[in-house]
Amino acid sequence: MMGQAAVGVLLVVICAMLEGVAQVFLKKSVLGKVRWFLWISIGVVILLIEKVIYSQALLFLDVGAAYTISSLNLISITFMSRCLLREKVTRMRWIGVCLIFIGVGLVAART
Amino acid sequence: MSTRKKFPIRLAAGLFVAILIDTVLQLGWKTAVLSLPSDGSPWLNLRALLHSPLFLFVMLLMAFQFFNWLMVLGNADLSFAQPLTALSYVSVFGLSVFYLKESPDLIQITGILFVLVGVWFISQTDHLTQSKERKG
Repeated sequence: MMGQAAVGVLLVVICAMLEGVAQVFLKKSVLGKVRWFLWISIGVVILLIEKVIYSQALLFLDVGAAYTISSLNLISITFMSRCLLREKVTRMRWIGVCLIFIGVGLVAART
Repeated sequence: MSTRKKFPIRLAAGLFVAILIDTVLQLGWKTAVLSLPSDGSPWLNLRALLHSPLFLFVMLLMAFQFFNWLMVLGNADLSFAQPLTALSYVSVFGLSVFYLKESPDLIQITGILFVLVGVWFISQTDHLTQSKERKG
């Protein structure tokens, strides 16, 4: 059986993934004039679900730990932008994202 | 040969506003929560929060932030704009030190430097993928 901390970590990782998916839908809503309201609505619903799951995760984890792990959303958003939105993510951008990920992790770990 | 696209002022303004609002939101939220009575039940805290003008201001800012973010996404790649909003960590850190009188430590300062260098790397890339590049 999983420990409470492991459940918390899993929930925050799921939140990071959901944040990526929601942002992809928000971006899709501004890419074209077709179905923009549908994409925004889906994005907002996913963001709300994410907030509910994140609140549950905080029952199992410290805020600092949760905040640090949730910076994974930087990676998930970049990855999904590349795969789902076909954005041109160069090596330079990946380096930048990874440096910011480490930086946010260090700052958030002390929160 | 590739040339970098011109960075639109509209995008710069949108990103600046996004970072500014994010900073105010984080500090406003923290101040609103700190103003709650420490011995109150979660229900009492929620009621106090809903009656707090600061909390209502924070909610209003969140709504504005959402529409501003859609405008930013209309002018930039998601993979470009989203990481740049991490600059709010830098501004929150700075304001926490100067305004809330929190004491910084070496790990936080190192983290801030990583964020700044990372933002510089991203700022050196094109902000928007053209539709023909997207298909290719």
